[in-house]
Amino acid sequence: MILDVERLEVRYGRLPAVRDISINVAAGEIVCVVGPNGAGKSTTMLAIAGELTPSRGRLLFEGGPLAGRSSEDTARLGISLVPEGRRIFGTLTVEENLRVASYIRRDRDAAAKDLESLLDRFPILKERFRSPAGRLSGGEQQILAIARGMLTRPKLMLVDEPSLGLAPKNVDLVYELLRSLREAGMTLLIVEQNLDRVMDVADRVYVMRDGRVQLSGTVVALKGSAELEAAYFGFDRGAA
Amino acid sequence: MAGASPLERIWPVIALWALLLVIVALAELFGGGILNRVVTDALVKVVVVVGLYIFVGNSGVMSFGSISFMAIGAYASVWQTCCPKLKPINMSGLPDFLRYNTFDLFPSAVSSVVFATILAAIIGFPIMRLSGIAASIATFAVLAIVNVVYGNWDRVTLGTNSVVGIPRYVDMWVALGCAAITIAAAYAYQCSRSGRSLRAARQDEVAAKAVGVNVPRERLIAWTISAAFIGLGGVLYAHNIGVITINNFYLDMTFITLAMLVIGGMKSLAGAVIGVVALATLQELLRQVELGFVVGGLSIKSPPGVQEVVIGIVMLLILVLRPGGLTGGREFSWPSPKRRPRS
Repeated sequence: MILDVERLEVRYGRLPAVRDISINVAAGEIVCVVGPNGAGKSTTMLAIAGELTPSRGRLLFEGGPLAGRSSEDTARLGISLVPEGRRIFGTLTVEENLRVASYIRRDRDAAAKDLESLLDRFPILKERFRSPAGRLSGGEQQILAIARGMLTRPKLMLVDEPSLGLAPKNVDLVYELLRSLREAGMTLLIVEQNLDRVMDVADRVYVMRDGRVQLSGTVVALKGSAELEAAYFGFDRGAA
Repeated sequence: MAGASPLERIWPVIALWALLLVIVALAELFGGGILNRVVTDALVKVVVVVGLYIFVGNSGVMSFGSISFMAIGAYASVWQTCCPKLKPINMSGLPDFLRYNTFDLFPSAVSSVVFATILAAIIGFPIMRLSGIAASIATFAVLAIVNVVYGNWDRVTLGTNSVVGIPRYVDMWVALGCAAITIAAAYAYQCSRSGRSLRAARQDEVAAKAVGVNVPRERLIAWTISAAFIGLGGVLYAHNIGVITINNFYLDMTFITLAMLVIGGMKSLAGAVIGVVALATLQELLRQVELGFVVGGLSIKSPPGVQEVVIGIVMLLILVLRPGGLTGGREFSWPSPKRRPRS
C-alpha cells in the first residue's frame, strides 16, 4: 500500500471530527471517500496532507510515518493536495500558478517538459497562460488546481471535493480529467459528496458519516446497492 | 507557450525608470534648489518604500519595524564617515577602528548595507515564523527596541541628540541611480522563484504549502532583501540631509512610508513608486500651504500639522474607495494595440 491510515482520530479542540477510521490506497488505484456534509472527509484529507495533527492513530506513506510532518514536507515526500474550493493563486497568472508548483522539483528540465505537455493537454491554460488565474471560470480554475498538483509529479494526489460549487458542465470537464489521470496510472484519493460521480472513476469507495467509516468496498461490488445508499444517507436498514 | 520578448518582460521596470528620469530631468531643467531637494528626498523615499514593498507587498505581512534598518544603515555609515575630530570625544563608545578612522564613502555605504542585512536576517529568523497580526506586532517591537537602544546609547549614537556634519554626497542623480537599482532588484525578486512562491503564499498559505512552499523561509529571504534596500535608504537619507537623529527613523517615517505604499497600491512595484511620487507631491503642496501664500491680496496659511491630517484622510479614502491603491495592484503593462472584438 502506498498510503495506510490506521485508526485515525482527529479533533477540533475537544470535538472529535474523525473517529477511529482506517483507509488504505494501493499504487495506481483511485480510492474515493464519500459522505454527506460534516462526515469528516475533508478533515481526514487535511490530516493526511499535514494540515491537521491527528490526536490518535497512524498515517503511513510508503511505509514511513507522516505524523509530525508539515504540509510542505508532506508535499516534498510526494503527496499533493488539491484543496477544496480550488484555492488557486488568483492574482498570480496561470503561468505563475504552474511554475510555483514546479519549484518543488529538482529536475528542472523534466519539470519544464511536463509544463509544456500539460499546456498541450489543457489548451485553455495555454490560451490564458499570462492572464490572472482569478479570471478563469470555476471549471477552468479546478483544472488549473489539478494541473498544479500534477506538476509536482506526486506519488499520491489528494483531491478534495472536485465538483464543489461547479456548474454541471464544468463537473463533466473535471471528471473527464480525473478519468484521464486514472488511465495515466496516477494514484488518487478523492473526497466527494457526489456519490454518482465517483462511482464512474473509482476502484474502491469508503463511505463516511459522523466521523466514522460506515462501509467500504470495491465499486463493482457496491454500485447501485441498497447497502451503499443506506450507509451514505444513514437509513436504518432494519426499519424497512 | 506564448512567449514574451525580453523588452516586454522588463517593461514594468523601464516604465518606472522613465517616469523617475523625466521627473529628475524636469527638476534639473526648470527647478531650483528647493525643488531639487524635494526630488532628491522623494527618490530616497523610493528606495525605502520599494525596499518595504519587497517584504510587505510580496508577503502580505504588514511591517511596522522595517524603518529600524534605515536607522541601522544610516548610523553605521555615520560611524564610518562622519566627524573625524568630534567622534573620538562624542562617540567614545565606538570601537577604536571606527572612533579614530574615517573611511571612504562608497565602501562605508556598502558595509552599512551589509550590516543592516545581517542584523535583519538574525532578527527575522524567529519573527518570520509568525503570521498575520502577530508578525506585524513583532515587527513593531523591533522598531521600538531599536529606537530605545539607539536613543539611549549616548556614547555611540549621541542618544536622541542630532549627529551633525555628515558628509553630503547624495544629489538627485545619486538618488536616482540608487532608486533605479532598487526598482530593478525588487522586480527581479518578485519574478524569482522565491518571489513567486511568497506571492502565492500571500494569496493562500494553505495552497502554497500544499505545493511545497516553505513560507517562513521565503518570508525571511524577502525580509532580508527588503532590509538591505531600506538600509541603503538610511545611508542615502543621512548623506542627503547631513544631520540625523534616531527620531528621524521612528513613527513619522514608518507612517509616511507605509502611507506611500498603501496609497500607491502595496501589491505592485508600480504602486510603491507611484505612491511615493503622489504623496511627495502632496506633501510639498501642503508644506507650501503651511508656509503660507498670497492669492489676490489674501494671505492663506494653514495651521501646523495639517500635512499629517490630510495624508491620513487621503489614506483612509484610498483604503475605503480603492483598496488596491492608485495602481490597483497592477504593474505598467506593455503598450499593445487594443484587441478588436471577434466577428
